[in-house]
Amino acid sequence: MNVFGGSAFLDVMQLISHRRLDSARFENLLMRQKAVALPCEDPVTFGVNAAKPIVDALPEAEKDRIELLITCTESGIDFGKSLSTYVHHYLGLSRNCRLLEIKNACYSGTAGFQMAVNFVLSQASPGAKALVVTTDISRFTVVEGGDALTEDWSFAEPSSGAGATAMLISDTPHIFQVDVGANGYYGHEVMDTCRPTAESEAGDADLSLMSYLDCCEQTFLEYQRRVADVDYRDSFQYLAFHTPFGGMVKGAHRTMMRKTTKSRREDIEADFERRVSPGLRYCQRTGNIMGGTVFLSLAGTIDNARFDTAQRIGVFSYGSGCCSEFYSGVATPDGQRRLRAMEISRHLDDRHSLSIEEYERLLTGKGAVAFGTRNWKLDESHVPGQVQASGPKGRLILERIHEFHREYRWN
Amino acid sequence: MTAQRHAEIFALVQNNIYEVLPDVEGREIKPGDRLTDLGANSVDRAEIVMLAMEALSLHIQRVELSGVKNVGELVDALYAKSHGQ
Repeated sequence: MNVFGGSAFLDVMQLISHRRLDSARFENLLMRQKAVALPCEDPVTFGVNAAKPIVDALPEAEKDRIELLITCTESGIDFGKSLSTYVHHYLGLSRNCRLLEIKNACYSGTAGFQMAVNFVLSQASPGAKALVVTTDISRFTVVEGGDALTEDWSFAEPSSGAGATAMLISDTPHIFQVDVGANGYYGHEVMDTCRPTAESEAGDADLSLMSYLDCCEQTFLEYQRRVADVDYRDSFQYLAFHTPFGGMVKGAHRTMMRKTTKSRREDIEADFERRVSPGLRYCQRTGNIMGGTVFLSLAGTIDNARFDTAQRIGVFSYGSGCCSEFYSGVATPDGQRRLRAMEISRHLDDRHSLSIEEYERLLTGKGAVAFGTRNWKLDESHVPGQVQASGPKGRLILERIHEFHREYRWN
Repeated sequence: MTAQRHAEIFALVQNNIYEVLPDVEGREIKPGDRLTDLGANSVDRAEIVMLAMEALSLHIQRVELSGVKNVGELVDALYAKSHGQ
C-alpha cells in the first residue's frame, strides 16, 4: 500500500482566518492541512505517483501478474476514457490486464477494493494480482445559489483536499488481510453532495452528516447480522473511517459508542484517542481525498498505531448519493514494518507549504487545466522548486495536452 | 398538535442545545433561532437533533429530520415524526 498526498498544501487555520470564517466553530472540527493540486498535476499524476513505488519494488514476473487495474475516482477527465489507461501506460504494466474506472463519490475506493478482493477470492486466475488506485482532486468553486445549498457549505473548502492511494491486492496479503464475508453494505438514494458540473461541487452539509451517521449505524447492524459475537468496542482494536474531517469522525464514533455500548463520556473520549485518532493522522495532512480517504485512514492506523501483535481494524466507508460499507481485516507487526518503509509521513512533511497568495492564484485557475481542454502546455514557472527536486526517480507531472490526449513526463 | 406537547418538545430541544453549546446556557431560545447563529457547527447540530431523537425514542433515519431551517421547524418536525406523520 502507498499514499501520495500531493506536492503542496495549505494550512487550514490560515485559510479560515483569510475567509473571515468563525474560527471558534472550526476549532473542534480537527482540520489541519489540505493538499492542493498544482497546475502540473492531475488525477493521473496523483495515481501514478502513489502506485509507482509499489510496482517498482516488484520483480518483473510478479509485476506481470497484475491482471486488474482499477482507478477509483470522482475526478474523471473523460466520460469514456478511464484514468486507468494512462496509469497502466506510465506504470509499464502487462497488457493482459483489465482496465477500468469506478465511481460512487467517496465510496469508490472501497468499491474497487472489494472488486479486487473478490477477483482474487474467485481464483478465476490463480496467482493474479490487482492494483487498486484511488485518486481525487478538488478544484474548488462552489455552485452559486440554489435552495438546497446550506451556507455552511463554506466549510467544504477548508476540508476538501487532493490525494491518491494505491493498493496491491493478491493472495499474499502482508499489510491488511480482509475478513472474508464480513461485510455490511448499505446504499440508497439521497441528494447530500455531488459534482454536477465539470468544475464544481454542490451539497447540503447537514444532510450529508445525517446520512453518514445513519449509514454508520446501518452498516454495522448488517455486519453484525453476518458475523457472530461482534462488539463495537471489543472486536476491533482500531477503527478506520472515511474522514471528510476529523470532527465528523469523532462525532460518529461517539454516536456509535453511545448506541452500541452505552459507554460513559470519559470512556468514549479515551476510546477515541486509542482506537480512532491514529487513523486521523494522515487525513489531517491532506483533507478529504474522496474515494481514497478511508484508505488514508487505514494507512494512518497501520503506520501509527501499536502492533506488538496482530490487530483487527474495523473500517467504515461512506460515499454520498449514497453507498456505505463496514468491513474489517487484520494487520500485523510485519505489515506495519512494510508500510513504514514507504515513508508516507516524511513525504507529507516534504511538501511545499503554500502561502495564501499562491493558493488564491491556483484557485483563479492560473495555468490549471479545465475539464475538456483540447490543447495546453505547462507553464514551467508554475512548478515550484520542491516538485522539480523530488525523489530519486522523480515524479510524474502533466506536461502537455494535444488534441485532448494527455502527455506526461517524469520530472 | 397539542400546545402542551409542542411546548414539552421545545423545552427538550432547548435543554439539548444547552448541553451541546454550554456558552448558550440560560439564554432564552426562540423558534426563529438558527442553530448556526447560536454557534453550532455541523457536528453540534447533528448532536442536538440526535439527543432529541433519543429522548423521544424516535427510531427513524436521521436524514428524515434534515432540511429544518431553525429551532421552531426542528420542534415541528420532531412532533410530526413522533406522532407517526
